[in-house]
Amino acid sequence: MVKIGKAGKNIFLVLLAALFFLPVFMTVGMSFLDNNMPTFQNYADLLFDCFVFYPVFWNSVLYAAVITIIGLLVIIPAAFGFSHAKFKGKGALFIFYIILMMMPLQVTILPNYIGLRDLGLINTRLGIILPACFSPFGVVVMSRYMQSINNSVIEAMRMETNSVIKIIFHAVIPQIRICIFAVVLFVFADCWNMLEQPLLFLRDINLQTLPVFLSNTEKYAGSVLFPAAVLFMFPVLLLYNFFSDSLEKGLTFGDLS
Amino acid sequence: MKPTKKSRIPWNIKCLFCLVPSLVGITIFFVIPYFRVLYYSLIDNQFRRNFVWLDNYVKTIQNEYFQLAFKNSLLLILIAVPALILSSLSISLMLSFGLKKLRVLRTAFVLPLVIPTASAALIWATFFANVDNVLPVYLLFIWKNIGICIILMTAAFTCIDDSVFEAAKLDGAKRFTIHRKITIPLIMPTLIFSILISIVSSFKVFKETYLYYGGTNYPPQYSYTLQYYMNNNFLKLDYQSLAASAVFTSLLVFVIVIIGLLLQRRYTW
Repeated sequence: MVKIGKAGKNIFLVLLAALFFLPVFMTVGMSFLDNNMPTFQNYADLLFDCFVFYPVFWNSVLYAAVITIIGLLVIIPAAFGFSHAKFKGKGALFIFYIILMMMPLQVTILPNYIGLRDLGLINTRLGIILPACFSPFGVVVMSRYMQSINNSVIEAMRMETNSVIKIIFHAVIPQIRICIFAVVLFVFADCWNMLEQPLLFLRDINLQTLPVFLSNTEKYAGSVLFPAAVLFMFPVLLLYNFFSDSLEKGLTFGDLS
Repeated sequence: MKPTKKSRIPWNIKCLFCLVPSLVGITIFFVIPYFRVLYYSLIDNQFRRNFVWLDNYVKTIQNEYFQLAFKNSLLLILIAVPALILSSLSISLMLSFGLKKLRVLRTAFVLPLVIPTASAALIWATFFANVDNVLPVYLLFIWKNIGICIILMTAAFTCIDDSVFEAAKLDGAKRFTIHRKITIPLIMPTLIFSILISIVSSFKVFKETYLYYGGTNYPPQYSYTLQYYMNNNFLKLDYQSLAASAVFTSLLVFVIVIIGLLLQRRYTW
């Protein structure tokens, strides 16, 4: 009796996992179908006839890559500062970062827009890149992670050097590698997904991103959308393939108290 | 040890400097503009700039579309969030305490987290083409957000000492009792945090519906959420009511996050 229950539970779990995977599987399947007949024509249509696809794909790659790299240059020192600097109000500042991280885009997008307008960056690539580099998510996650690292290595290095940069490179980064990978995957996937900012900050079609392209279902023929959706998933799936372990071990910020 | 030149800048100041880039960016793009938004929400329009104090807020709250949006956002929190938490809790319990071989299945649940919403929304729109209710949007929300909850909960489970379970088993406790009395109380801070970020993500559901309904600014009534209200005011350049609803939503999120963090502290062992 108990055994049947257990087996039943396992089968249920397998079926549930299959159900969760189904949308990915179906997207790939649909991209090879035309009127229920298997074909490569959809991909040919997209890659040879749909010229707007290349610039928007390239834009998406550019934005996500640049934001991830600059983002890391901001996040890693900030997280180091949070865990090593001593100052009054550090706790309150950290809570401010957490609250900002939780704010929906529709709250932050108007401040972002106003900030960009004052700097004259509306309808430019920088307007998409700059605000995203200062997203507080990575700082919160990495600061939490840094609390669990071995500080004696840092103390030992301080005997030899006074350079914070050297210490971060040689004593901190090797210890937080997993967390960095997790943040890279998360930040990249988030920017790759960006829809509202390009939609509201950019007028020029040549600067647009893939999600905006995919949202124009009426403008483009249906046959190119599924192949585009598959190619759109591909880079994140590739990253996930490399970093999936880190994603599960590096995002241990569940207990913020 | 080789002698080093003694730096004139104290260590603590250097560590403080590390925070500067992040703080400057956040000040320029979030903090200062936020106060401008607050200011916009209190004046009558951008040109006359007369202070009308709470008029914009009263107008916003009385607006029927705002009320519709607020009701729909609330329903999402009351229905989709509990469903998300219960399913992620039971799935992560099954993954962590079930057959070891089945742990590979975790990928299927975590993967949606990184799948671009635009790709998912496309297949959703095809699959649910004939469904005329809000269920597909709730399912998309759960599908997309279950991964982060499972990651957080699984991480919390691995922190529990195995001896706790051994002792309970020796006392003859049933598996369900063990989870109810030991596992769940022990991961309470993480559970509260998962509920918190799920509520917050439910405020963020816009991309999903926007793409699911094929990029229209006017979805069916049942899917018109606060985010649509704000997005459409943005497009109409109605900064006063946009500012008022942005400030209103930010206060709401602020209160929810503070309550969540306090609860989390209260339940920490």
